[in-house]
Amino acid sequence: MPKFFTLFFKYNNYLLFVVYCSISLLFIKLQNDDTLENLRTGSIEFSAAVNEKLTNIMYLFNLDKENERLMRVNTDLLTRVLNLETTAADERNRSKILTDSTFNASGFIMARVVDRKFSDRENMLLINAGWKNGIKKDMTVLVPEGLVGRIIAVSEHYAKIMPVINTDFKVSVVSDSSNTMGILSWNGGQESIAQIEHVPISSPLKLNEHMVTSDFSTFSTRGIPVGRVVRITPDKLFYTIDLRLAVDFSSLTQVLIAPLKIEPEKAAIANESTLLEQLP
Amino acid sequence: MTTKLFFSIVLLCIGTFLQEFFLSHLALFQVSPDIMTIFIVFIAITVDQKSSTSFGFAAGILTGIFSGNMGLNMLARTIEGFIAGYFHIPEESHATARQKTRKFYVAILAAGFFGHAVIAAGYNPLGLTPAYRIFILGFLESLFTLMLAVILNWLFLRKSFAD
Repeated sequence: MPKFFTLFFKYNNYLLFVVYCSISLLFIKLQNDDTLENLRTGSIEFSAAVNEKLTNIMYLFNLDKENERLMRVNTDLLTRVLNLETTAADERNRSKILTDSTFNASGFIMARVVDRKFSDRENMLLINAGWKNGIKKDMTVLVPEGLVGRIIAVSEHYAKIMPVINTDFKVSVVSDSSNTMGILSWNGGQESIAQIEHVPISSPLKLNEHMVTSDFSTFSTRGIPVGRVVRITPDKLFYTIDLRLAVDFSSLTQVLIAPLKIEPEKAAIANESTLLEQLP
Repeated sequence: MTTKLFFSIVLLCIGTFLQEFFLSHLALFQVSPDIMTIFIVFIAITVDQKSSTSFGFAAGILTGIFSGNMGLNMLARTIEGFIAGYFHIPEESHATARQKTRKFYVAILAAGFFGHAVIAAGYNPLGLTPAYRIFILGFLESLFTLMLAVILNWLFLRKSFAD
């Protein structure tokens, strides 16, 4: 017996190891026992609960980063939405012009208004077509509804338009029913109302008559709608006429540029009186 | 003695908590560093083989509860404790701090590798080949554990291995 105890104390490390290993193996064998199964289920629940709390705490710490990330995502999405909306609006305006049955847009150059300067005195439009697209100075700018203005400056990719609602703009107009002629101008103020000058008091012009560009214009082709007469005020020699413009300048996004009106003979005969004598 | 035992049990519980809820999330190549191995080896180095085997067994119970593989964890940790016991440094040892530290690291590599090998041999949730999960992953886990041990030694354990 003493010998056994001596051996036991001498090798108790090994004995302890064997005992622990045996218990472990027993547990492995009883892996699917109900008690162990319940213990495992309980531990999984506990573990999940602690993990959830820890995740919540970590989430609070990372809230700044999360907000920053969401802000980036929002910005990205907003940019995409804006791009899509802009493209859709452009396409709508484009197809609106192209599908207008009363207006033949072939031979015209289409451009988008990329900038505008509106004030009570000066109005300028900038379009995204320049001399590379065939734009030249003095070309007529219009939309199916009517006259927009004329090109006054051209760069490689852009052109500047002097719209009808510019105090320096003048164009010869004629009434489509009474053939009354006058000079259209804009005196500032309300952007939808322009004036017609040099209409003699003897002319048969009436309210609501439609005015179109006349052949007298140096840049514009004839027959482009300009507006409708809304007020006629008689003066000593001439009428003071207010015209409601056909084009809504506040919502102008797409425009058409008409080919340049080339009438060299007309210009020459207007400026050169000697030419007449040379002809038979 | 009782205070030391109580302190060790508290450390064991904290170690289990850290292992289950923090270190297990640092898995790289399917393995994560094992703070329990470090704890068991530390007990083996500073106390004795019997204690390290017993603490290994207890650590196996605790980690087994969370992992769901109680028996296998108990067996692996017991073997870890028993192997680490062979690296025990007696109090009367004249070993330098450097030698003690080196022994501590070698014990971690050895115990960690065998502990992992036992678990890898008995449990294969990822369906990996035995050679890969025992040798490659075993080596990687021991290496990660060693790295953690170096950090812990530098931060907390240096005093324990002083000359």
